[in-house]
Amino acid sequence: MVNDRNSFIFRSLSTLLVILVINFFLPRMMPGDPFSTTSADEVGGEIIVMTEEQHLYYVNYYGLDRPLYEQFLSYMKNLMTGNLGRSIYYKMPVSDVIMLHLPWTILIVVSATVVSTISGVVLGTLSAKNRKKGSDRIMMTGMIAFAEIPSFLLGLILLLIFSVYFRLFPLAGAVTPFAHYNGPTDQVLDILYHAFLPVLTLSLSQLTGVYLLTRNTLITVTTKDYIRTARAKGLGEKNVWIRHALRNALLPVVTRTGFMIGIMMGGVVLVENVFSYPGIGMTLRSAVVGRDYPLIQGILLVIAVSILICNLLVDKIYGKLDPRVVI
Amino acid sequence: MSLLKINNLKCHYLTDIDTVKAVDGISFEIEEREILGIVGESGSGKTTVALGIMGLLPENTAVSGEILYRNEVISSLPEPEMNRFRWKDIAIVFQNGLEVMNPVLKVGVQVTEPMIKHLDISPEKARSKCADLFRTVGLDPKWMDSYPHQLSGGMRQKVLLAMALSCDPKLLVLDEVTSALDAFTRKEIRDLLVDLQKNGYTMLVISHDITFVSSVASRIAVMYSGKVIETGPVRDILVSPLHPYTRGLVHSTPDIFVYKDLWGIPGDVPSGDEFEGCPFSPRCTQRIDICNKTSPVLVPAGEGREIACHRGGIAGLLAAKNLNFSYRLPDGEYLQAVNNVNLEVMEGEVLAIVGQTGSGKSTLAHILADVIRPECGDVLFMGGNVFGGNYGSRFNGIQIVFQDPFSSTSNRFTVLDAIKEPLYINKIGSNGDRLQMVKSALELVRLPSSDNFLRKYCGELSGGQRQRVALARAMVMEPKLLIADEITSALDVSTSANILRLLKGLQNRRGFAMIYISHDLSLTLKIADRIAVMNSGKIIEIGNSHDVMLSPSDEYTKRLVGSRIGLCCHTH
Ligand SMILES: Nc1ncnc2c1ncn2[C@@H]1O[C@H](COP(=O)(O)OP(=O)(O)O)[C@@H](O)[C@H]1O
Ligand code: SF4
Ligand SMILES: [Mg+2]
Repeated sequence: MVNDRNSFIFRSLSTLLVILVINFFLPRMMPGDPFSTTSADEVGGEIIVMTEEQHLYYVNYYGLDRPLYEQFLSYMKNLMTGNLGRSIYYKMPVSDVIMLHLPWTILIVVSATVVSTISGVVLGTLSAKNRKKGSDRIMMTGMIAFAEIPSFLLGLILLLIFSVYFRLFPLAGAVTPFAHYNGPTDQVLDILYHAFLPVLTLSLSQLTGVYLLTRNTLITVTTKDYIRTARAKGLGEKNVWIRHALRNALLPVVTRTGFMIGIMMGGVVLVENVFSYPGIGMTLRSAVVGRDYPLIQGILLVIAVSILICNLLVDKIYGKLDPRVVI
Repeated sequence: MSLLKINNLKCHYLTDIDTVKAVDGISFEIEEREILGIVGESGSGKTTVALGIMGLLPENTAVSGEILYRNEVISSLPEPEMNRFRWKDIAIVFQNGLEVMNPVLKVGVQVTEPMIKHLDISPEKARSKCADLFRTVGLDPKWMDSYPHQLSGGMRQKVLLAMALSCDPKLLVLDEVTSALDAFTRKEIRDLLVDLQKNGYTMLVISHDITFVSSVASRIAVMYSGKVIETGPVRDILVSPLHPYTRGLVHSTPDIFVYKDLWGIPGDVPSGDEFEGCPFSPRCTQRIDICNKTSPVLVPAGEGREIACHRGGIAGLLAAKNLNFSYRLPDGEYLQAVNNVNLEVMEGEVLAIVGQTGSGKSTLAHILADVIRPECGDVLFMGGNVFGGNYGSRFNGIQIVFQDPFSSTSNRFTVLDAIKEPLYINKIGSNGDRLQMVKSALELVRLPSSDNFLRKYCGELSGGQRQRVALARAMVMEPKLLIADEITSALDVSTSANILRLLKGLQNRRGFAMIYISHDLSLTLKIADRIAVMNSGKIIEIGNSHDVMLSPSDEYTKRLVGSRIGLCCHTH
């Protein structure tokens, strides 16, 4: 198993290296630089136009006129010491910017994972139990059609209906600005109130996947010999389904959850922007607009690392759930 | 009162493409404390019966008929009702497939689970009972905490057995429990089952392995294509099977026929749900017209046996009564070469006649083939008298191949003429037809059918080739009975082994009966179903080849067997 472990670490490290390279070069391939863009596309933002001199000064100050490989090497060197660099736009360390916004993203991604997994499993189980009956067919068709809607579009629709039209939920933000809370319950409620629509959007976008996986795995599992054995033992339907069928069908669902978090980390950028939710997704957007290279690199790195960590966790959990896997 | 009674059970799988009549109208009973065995080849519907009893057939199955447990109909109970019987009254032991137990639950948990559910006992109590059960089936209780994939096939089978015993069921259904096991574990399981039966369990033992089933069961039902075709006490079924299929099954079992080469039963089960005739008819060597039209029903055949066959089971083909023949020697003395011989040859069987040179074997063969007439006695072939019946010149009659290939095919004949001759003499077919028949006969005996070869003179052929030409000459008449008189004795060892394999292969595929005459016991044993031992013109012993071999009753046979052992050092 030592070999497996080594190869796992090796794979993770090489993946990380590739990501670092892409992270570094991709933003720099975009037209413009941090100082040639104006923030004119920020509605209502003041328009700053730099003179040529000022521009050169800043480019030189941030070392952007040095050869790319030199910049890359110094980026890597800094990274080794845990230094992600300074954000050009926010004028503070990238890590501080990320720490400020990451919790919000984690909040909605984790909640969406929990919500979509639980409801997907429940619906998938119902569907599998009623297989070949009308309710299964309807549910399945609906789910598949639903999955075709892109998550940002879904977010926009939800926003229009619930926030703009019914005014049930806020239009933007993660907390009510300048609010005074009467105790922690109030604060939690306010946070949930703001997170509701983003979480719903993310969950809905993942629901079909979990649902289909649960349903199809369950249907396969129920044809297995051990289900027949469980039936033969006269254990009763509930026992057969939960102890024997679902217990096995959940194994691939667990694996999927790992991937799902990865996919959501991508989706969250769009969803956060739709709801103006102050997570790293929204930060990333402004970093891109402002060509804030260090910040872009930092955020992409955080996303990549969190995906890697999720996969690692899933492997661990899977090993605990399935005795056939030796880690 | 029988413990389990099955009345005209039918289980048809309705698939998208067609209907599979996996079980098609079977009835049987199991008495309390009895072990009933069901045998049949894979796909004959055995597992379907087992699942039917447990109420575990998939949803797409159309089930009709009745299953009664202690006079209570259990075949149409809804699931929760059926759960009352499962495991407490009827438990099943499945084959130890990898996925037959839940891969993510410890085996101990899976054994205690039904106890907690049905016996209303605490988990601790169940665990200690589980440990006892493990000891009963010969497993160390420490294995309770392992997962199914950590156990070997044999251990899994024992866990499955312990699991089935956990709620003290009255009836145990065992489906192929030894099929995937090594010989040693198989014996362990067998001994366990015998012990269990002494403790009062009633069992239904299902397997394709007739040796295993017959070592535990007292009665056997043979299934073929969803039907029971023969039932009876174990010993009777093994010693004198009635149905041609049962005979094939018994004869292709290495443990019963230790010396014989294995030859499966050729042909396939008829497919298509429209077929109304006897399911065995495509493979049957004795089918008659009605066999293709209606399916025979199981009828009593005396002595607790039942048979489903329009011909009442394996039919007789040739019967010889009171045959006597003497040669007049030059000195005026008479030598009685055949002395009051009575003989019966059944459809599709290989009867070997063995004896020393001069014991009268060839004379007997010549009489049976109507080459010479006996002083007295009769030979009946399919009900007709052989003498004057011209069976030698008819299709589907009797053909004989002689010891000496040089006497049956003239040197001056071409291969074509030699094989065509019987057709020519008997005016069968046009010239073109004959050529075709000759060619296919040559292919049967694995000789080239090129024009080049056809034009060769028999004198140019080797002994082995010439014997094959003689065989082709016999096969061209498609005999129902082939008499082979020492056909390999003039050949070297390897050629004779080849000819013998060819002959047996032909017999197996074509389904004709054969009288194989030889003085070589070792070779005979490889192909014979029954052996008749001849000495001084008399048949002194006749029986299943393994019985004659393993326990010869006559002194002369013992000497014959003994001399064989003396020759072959490898015999055990
Ligand atoms: N679930 C099923 N659906 C359709 N056909 C089946 C199914 N199970 C078994 N069969 C068919 O039914 C026949 C009998 O199968 P089975 O009872 O398993 O025989 P055995 O146990 O004697 O090998 C076979 O032809 C098999 O292919
Ligand atoms: S003789 Fe007819 S009924 Fe009997 S086994 Fe052969 S085909 Fe079936
Ligand atoms: Mg089977």
